[in-house]
Amino acid sequence: MMRASNTKSKGTRELSLIPNYVILSLFLLFAIGPLLVLLFNSLKNRAELGNNPLGIPTSITWDNYPRAWDVGNFSTTTLNSAILVAGTVAAVLLLGGMAAYSLAKLDLPGGNGLMLYLLVASSLPIHLFLVPLFFFWRQLGLVNNLFGLILIYIAVNAPLAIFLLRSYMVQLPRDFEDAARVDGASEWQVFTKVVVPLSWPGFLTVGLVVSLAVWNEFLLATVFLTDQSKFTVVTSYYNFTTQFSRDWTLTSAAAVMMIAPILVIFLIFQRQFIEGMTQGGMKG
Amino acid sequence: MGKPMTMEKSISTERLHDARASWRKGAFFRKKVLPWLFVTPILLINITVVLGPALSAGYYSLTDWSGIGAANFIGLDNFRRILLEDSSYKSAFLNNLIWLGLFLTVPIAMALVGASVISPIRRGALFFRLALFVPYVLPSVIVANLWRTLLDPDRGIMGWLTDQGLPGTDIALLGRQNTVLPTIAFIDNWHWWGFLMVLFLAGMQNISRDLYEAARLDGANRWEEFRDVTIPGIRPVLVFMVLMTAIWSFLTFDYIWILTQGGPAGASEVLSVLVYKNAFQAFQAGYASAIGLTMSFFVGIIISIFIVLRRRGWEI
Amino acid sequence: MTIRKRLHLIILLAMALLVAIGPTGAVTQAQDKEQVSMWFNSTGGAEGANCIIEQAIDTFNEQSDGVEVTATLQANSWDATRTALAGGGGPDIVTTPGPSFAFELAQSGQLMALDDFAAEYGWTENFTPWALQLGVVDDQLYSIPSEVETLVLYYNKTLFEEHGWEAPQTLDELMALAEEIDAAGIIPFAHSNAEWRPTNEWFVGEFLNHLAGPEKVYQALTGELEWTDPEFVSAIELLTEMQQNGWFMGGLDRYYTTQTATTFAMLAEGEAAMKIEGTWAVPDLNTYFGDEGGNANEWDWVPVPSADGDPIFDLGIGTTYGINKNAQNPEAAAEFLSYYFSPEVQATLAVECGVVPAPVEIEPDALEGLDPRYAEIIAAMNEASEAGDYGYTTWTFWPPRSDVYIYDEIERVWAGDITAEEYLQGLQSLFDEEVEAGDIPPIPER
Repeated sequence: MMRASNTKSKGTRELSLIPNYVILSLFLLFAIGPLLVLLFNSLKNRAELGNNPLGIPTSITWDNYPRAWDVGNFSTTTLNSAILVAGTVAAVLLLGGMAAYSLAKLDLPGGNGLMLYLLVASSLPIHLFLVPLFFFWRQLGLVNNLFGLILIYIAVNAPLAIFLLRSYMVQLPRDFEDAARVDGASEWQVFTKVVVPLSWPGFLTVGLVVSLAVWNEFLLATVFLTDQSKFTVVTSYYNFTTQFSRDWTLTSAAAVMMIAPILVIFLIFQRQFIEGMTQGGMKG
Repeated sequence: MGKPMTMEKSISTERLHDARASWRKGAFFRKKVLPWLFVTPILLINITVVLGPALSAGYYSLTDWSGIGAANFIGLDNFRRILLEDSSYKSAFLNNLIWLGLFLTVPIAMALVGASVISPIRRGALFFRLALFVPYVLPSVIVANLWRTLLDPDRGIMGWLTDQGLPGTDIALLGRQNTVLPTIAFIDNWHWWGFLMVLFLAGMQNISRDLYEAARLDGANRWEEFRDVTIPGIRPVLVFMVLMTAIWSFLTFDYIWILTQGGPAGASEVLSVLVYKNAFQAFQAGYASAIGLTMSFFVGIIISIFIVLRRRGWEI
Repeated sequence: MTIRKRLHLIILLAMALLVAIGPTGAVTQAQDKEQVSMWFNSTGGAEGANCIIEQAIDTFNEQSDGVEVTATLQANSWDATRTALAGGGGPDIVTTPGPSFAFELAQSGQLMALDDFAAEYGWTENFTPWALQLGVVDDQLYSIPSEVETLVLYYNKTLFEEHGWEAPQTLDELMALAEEIDAAGIIPFAHSNAEWRPTNEWFVGEFLNHLAGPEKVYQALTGELEWTDPEFVSAIELLTEMQQNGWFMGGLDRYYTTQTATTFAMLAEGEAAMKIEGTWAVPDLNTYFGDEGGNANEWDWVPVPSADGDPIFDLGIGTTYGINKNAQNPEAAAEFLSYYFSPEVQATLAVECGVVPAPVEIEPDALEGLDPRYAEIIAAMNEASEAGDYGYTTWTFWPPRSDVYIYDEIERVWAGDITAEEYLQGLQSLFDEEVEAGDIPPIPER
């Protein structure tokens, strides 16, 4: 990799990038400003929120957090959401990765038909098949069961995951695989030892996208998990927001707590995520 | 009839022979069976969860099912009602088209600008990338409620602008028929564009530096660089996201439902809202299924366009 | 490289987890007590729900030898219940958001007839007749009513005294007063539908009942009168005039967007003067008025003004309770319902948890500790209901599709897209369709 070693030209370069930083600062205000308001609101009491819904709190109240934690039963719900995310992501990456490999590298006979099917499946409105699905799941004993919901999440998230992974794998040169095949590797070994490592950034992105989708999902979670001990973080967040009155300080605190774990995971994987994206491209 | 039969026979014997030969070499298994083995597990799950129940919903669209209890077969009556009687269907469909237009332009333009502005910088690139992506991680319920506060005409941003003496800002954007739909799209986009940007950015960083060097040597300015190098370089991901945006535009639900439930006076009603209202509020699950099927039909049209383009040799 | 290993590990762990939580089915330990499950939704959110569990569920389980009730707060209760029932499952005790929903369930055979239990536990005597009547389908009782609601006109008493305004009794007085308040630069009504779109129907219902009179509404509900009657038209026109004057929150756009919390704050701080809302609003009023809200203001109430000034209370049922047709232990469920709807438990729930009581006769003493103004409303409402001077809330007495139409389409009238008459014509044709299909909830005789 080439590195700029001439400090002088580097300086000029940075200077010419000033418009970039100006634009980015505007984008930054747009993206982060509202989140600061959310954070501020979680530190106000109800009366102050009514009078000052935008600004910095005049006095900081931490009470909202323990209250929201207790009332929302966050200790249980966080674990449930984590199980749903882990199970779905693992299965989608493994099974979706296999399917993407087959589509991108094995010239799957009828591959276009499969792509078409997946597109159609991802485009069906969920309300359309909710009731029949529930009926079926009940007969299988999969209602009120995290595993049952994970299966649904896998199915719902699979099309996008397969498309994204396939589009990463298509870019990979065939030389590496062919070399491995010549060395006598089975297709499974080519998949796990060559293609998966090379398309790793794609897997990370998909993992992240699916985690978010599952962590934030609401409709299916309420319908398929009706036992309080199985509630997810979003379901219990919804318990705060009732039909007639909303305690905004409390919901803000709950919101901040809900965002926190996924944000932390994103931060942990941030460096690898970016590196993967920058180095992953191996133009043939 | 005799002659063709013999011919067919001889062909099939030949094929069989070929297949046997390739089986011996393992080619048949490797080329026809193995690829499907890789696909089967996730396909089975998807068929069980999505296809089966969706097919039975197709049947319900031909009934007067209320959502509970028995369903009576009524033929195509639901579709007749959509075409001839339901005026809200037409306005909901038009709103879907407006939504489509908004999402094919604004977020994609913003993401392209954002990605190409971050792409050349070193210092702080990581920070900006992260910060601009953050809204994407929030659940729709939180985003919607947050922006509802922010857009409050008295106490939110608009109220603040009014206090600064800016004329015409003393309005509730979500409460007016002419502003409500773009406003919801704005809120949805606030959460959405950062994700697009990250995808585009990844695409841009796969573009070889040499191409930019070459363009610069040719005397290309920034815009020409962007047009002739960047855009073609990220075309696969760009085209893919355009396709997905088009599909999702016909399925959009969350933000509209949480913020206005289609109001005021139907100004933000889209097809999915009609499905939900009919299925869960008005006890018209059969009719709702019919509307849902028409949504799938429109999506099918978009997919067909995509396939035609693919057939014409677009690498997408 | 390390990252790849780490992710492999994560995938392995997750797989192990999957196996661990796999389709284990029901791992129920042997129970001596008969199990009864119930899902419910609480307007008081999770805190209100915990209060209900402590005050009614736990106490029942302690005192009962043979029955144990497990109550689950369901955020999206109705959707979940509906879907579960359609799939042949669902809780033993089925709650719905109102009689027209329970009616639909009963009609499709999802609920158990309760007549035997009603006789055994004396429900027929305990419940107010008109309310219990709402649970009857084809001469059999399928659901019992909870949370009797009515709407009244709340106002900022302190603000009224400052300006020398009198609480209105007739609709004319209400209009004149609203004009005066508006001229004084104060918002007449702190109304908004931003967080609950069906709010629209409160006003439609109030104006139909209070301008045309409950008698006419009764006739229309029983098919003796058309909804296009001139008095109904003027009721809608009057409501539309108020909206278009900007009296609700200062303009239609504000009405559609202002958050509920803001409406209460503005009422309490005297930026708005009045509010037509249900009995469920009392806990919120007490939060925003007085010390807790950081002001020295007081609220009070009067019946919603009527054409001739006679008080009318439009009654509604906020929740119904029934027993699932597939319930394992219906007797046990009935035993719990009988306990839950006893006047003592209902009084405790009202005082401790702010739950609106069921239509059972509660001794006034039992409600001690309740806000006196709230107690007054309950007393006045009960009196009106016993004397037959009550009106009809749309969500209790109209069939489901008509109900949705009422709050959906009224916005088109306010927007000027259609006239009041066209609106009511549309209502009539939908109403006819539902009558023909037999979807009309039973209307108790006046």
